Amino acid sequence: MIALIVRRLLLGIVTIACIYALTFVMVISLPGNPFQQGQHNIPPEAEMALRARYSMDNNWLYFREFLAGAVRLDFGPTFTYNDWTCNQIIASALPVSILLGFLAIMIAVLIGVPIGVLSAVKRGSWFDVSSLSLVLLGISVPTFVTGSALLIVFAVCLRIAPVGGWGTLGHLPLPALTLSLPFIAYIARLTRTGMLDALSSDFVRTALAKGASPRAVVWKHALKVAFLPVLSFLGPAAAQAMTGSFVVEKVFGVPGIGQHFVNAALNRDAGLIMSTVLVFSTLLVAFNLIVDVLYTWIDPRISESV
Amino acid sequence: MVRNLFFICICGILLATTLSIYIFSSTEPRADFTYVNPSGIHTLDPARMSWTQDFRVALNIWEGLTTWHPQTLEPIEGAALFPPVVSDDGLTYRFAIRNDAHWSNGDPVTARDFLRGWRRGMEPGTATDYTFLFTENVAGAGEYVRWRREAVGGLTALARLRDGWGVSGEQAKAIVRNPVFKQIETAIDGTLFRPTKEDGNAGWERLATELGNAGVDWSSFYDRVFETHILEFDTRFSQVGLKAPNEQTFVVQLKRPCPYLLDLIALPIFLPCHESIELLRERYRGAPITAEGLVVYDPQWTKPDYHRNDYPGLVSNGPYRLSDWTFKRRARLTVNPHHRMAHVISCRTVDMVVYDNISASIMAYEAGDVDFLPAMDVPYDHEIARLARSGERPDFHLCHVSATYFLNFNCVSKSVDGRENPFTDRRIRKAFALAVNKQRIVEKVLTRGDRVAYSFVPPDTIPGYQPPAGLSMDVDQARRLLGEAGYPDGTGLGPVELLYTPGDERVCQALARMWEQALGVRVELRSKESKTFAEDKANHRYMIARGNWYADYNDPTTFLDCLGTGNGNNDSGYTNPQYDAILAEANTARDPKKRSALLRQAESIIVEEDLPILPILHYASPIAIKPHVKGLYVNGRLWFPFHYVKVER
Repeated sequence: MIALIVRRLLLGIVTIACIYALTFVMVISLPGNPFQQGQHNIPPEAEMALRARYSMDNNWLYFREFLAGAVRLDFGPTFTYNDWTCNQIIASALPVSILLGFLAIMIAVLIGVPIGVLSAVKRGSWFDVSSLSLVLLGISVPTFVTGSALLIVFAVCLRIAPVGGWGTLGHLPLPALTLSLPFIAYIARLTRTGMLDALSSDFVRTALAKGASPRAVVWKHALKVAFLPVLSFLGPAAAQAMTGSFVVEKVFGVPGIGQHFVNAALNRDAGLIMSTVLVFSTLLVAFNLIVDVLYTWIDPRISESV
Repeated sequence: MVRNLFFICICGILLATTLSIYIFSSTEPRADFTYVNPSGIHTLDPARMSWTQDFRVALNIWEGLTTWHPQTLEPIEGAALFPPVVSDDGLTYRFAIRNDAHWSNGDPVTARDFLRGWRRGMEPGTATDYTFLFTENVAGAGEYVRWRREAVGGLTALARLRDGWGVSGEQAKAIVRNPVFKQIETAIDGTLFRPTKEDGNAGWERLATELGNAGVDWSSFYDRVFETHILEFDTRFSQVGLKAPNEQTFVVQLKRPCPYLLDLIALPIFLPCHESIELLRERYRGAPITAEGLVVYDPQWTKPDYHRNDYPGLVSNGPYRLSDWTFKRRARLTVNPHHRMAHVISCRTVDMVVYDNISASIMAYEAGDVDFLPAMDVPYDHEIARLARSGERPDFHLCHVSATYFLNFNCVSKSVDGRENPFTDRRIRKAFALAVNKQRIVEKVLTRGDRVAYSFVPPDTIPGYQPPAGLSMDVDQARRLLGEAGYPDGTGLGPVELLYTPGDERVCQALARMWEQALGVRVELRSKESKTFAEDKANHRYMIARGNWYADYNDPTTFLDCLGTGNGNNDSGYTNPQYDAILAEANTARDPKKRSALLRQAESIIVEEDLPILPILHYASPIAIKPHVKGLYVNGRLWFPFHYVKVER
């Protein structure tokens, strides 16, 4: 187990280093000037001074400076928001995204798993069909549509939720629900497929033959197996929910990190691009690691095969 | 297992909710007045800012020598008595700082504070966009800035060589320009490659490589240059026409008469700066500059709660002070108790809140959460404009902004992407200009209530200046001109490319149709992401590109200078010695009538004869002010000082 964790950790560090190198190459080869802000073209001498100011006049120097900073968890300045450092921006935005993503995943499991189980058990029934179509809807309708619809119904028509923004408890439910919709759909589908497999397997038949109640068999024995694909989905999903909430953030005016990830690229803000990419990739690697560990805990067969 | 799973989920949700209750519990009472800044503050450093929304915050928390009247936009008194004493030749302005001008910590505002603030506006490292306002107007400023920038180039290059990083071609150029280069050459065994004009950039790169391999003791050269530069650092600045003979007198010497100076110096780049900022200056070997020769302050100095090095937090001298600022969420302004108007200001607190999504900010306005929307550029802004014009929504207003939306014709590049660029011929530019039905674009395509633009300078915005009449649509003449240029009925004229950014589709499609129908040319539309677009435009890699320009100050030259030869914002690459000569003559003219006539003559070359640009429209920008808010005035510069605001809820 410990050997597994160590090996995965080392692999994770190598992955992140590769991502950093790749991102760096992309950032420096992007067309467009990060220092131009308003309507004025920046004079070449002024640009030279600014590049010197951020050690961006020499790519190798910049590569090393940023890396040295990142190792110390100091991501340096941003070019778009002069008065703030990348660290401050991440510190203000990441908790928001993590809270939102965490809530969304919790909601998704809480709703998605029962739907999947019930539709597997009652395969072909009206519940199965209607939940499957709802799931399809959840996967295919983009969040900016569902988010705006929820906003119009609950905030504008019913006036029971604020229009958007961040700062009170009332600001939480709508974005969290919107963010969770596609995950609910995926989880329900994964559970249903896993459940159908499990229900037709030998150990379920044995359990039923031994006289265990169907309810216990479904929720206790079968689900334990059926939940494995969901679990492996949850790792990347959690990372995705916490980092990929750009659209939801935009619709609800939530000050999360997704907007900085996108805007940094649009603004050619090298420092912010690389720091958000590093944060995102670290989250992804970390969640995959956690899931792998959980996996071996739930299903010891896997640790033997690894 | 399942029970456990659900238990974990429910616990998780409860935990997260409790945590957020804890985080959110410290909410302050609502401010007297709340307005929306859609994108948030980019920077609060007056020397670096270039966005109107940043100007708005800065000019409410600082006060320059002058400011603008909220209604008439005329320059009025700020931290100095008004008007200043002006010498007979119009070149020396003597400002007397008011006795009752105070910083938010109680310190008196002094002339040195202005000297510090203005110097920051020129120094490489602190300033970027608006340095040209100093170099073009203040005596000696151009020389000083050039000297400083060259020194920065040389010091950066020497520092990189010293540290073994090697230099770029640009940096090699900077070393050659530096006086120390002679000594470097003597120190090197053998000779260095000296690039000629024909070698171009490759020559400089070659020199850069040779310098990297030269094997001399770069640190001694670096030290020599650094020390000489430090010695001259302040004496050189004393040759700039800015003086503080005593605590309360600030003298500005101009290099040319500037009739709009009092309007100009209300801009944020001319704001004063409190001495506490010196606590945050970055120093190299005890000198006031960095190793690269830059003037750098810890960028966090604009935070009210930043205290590194005993820094007291941001000290400002305006009607308000910044009392709280959270990134991209909110900034709270509170009355500056030491300001002379503190006791008469009705709005004691002002909140600037950020809504990235403008539609959401409109919903928040409708729900009564905010009092003022200074920007409503949404896809349905024509509907908002209609409600404003028809009077159905008396709280919606249209601001006729002092800005022009236009097209750039590429006047320099013979070919673009391997294709012939026909717009170096002014007859073709004029033909394309005459074939456009601007009325239709404004009334049928955008329907926002913008004004049709016949001139570059918006009419009726600058007192004493009326722009020329410009061209009206005339398809017959357009066809004739095209024929004269060698392309009768558009035959032989290859496809013409129109470059724009996302959001301009409708206007550009309409333009393409007009040209295709009137002139028989094929128009290709190409949309590019805005940063790539800006780079292509500035480097003349386009045939026709959309452009816009907002007045920086209230004088025709803010528009007309852009088309001068060699101007950094001359995206069309237009050069006309006659135009440059008229502008130069206007620059020195003392008689306002004569000056205005000269500028008008120059503009008529632009909009009636040479057409390097084709003005399309002057923007109308919808804003929303709640009826209970008094003291905000609709104006063309989107200038909204909050200390005149009264909220009668």
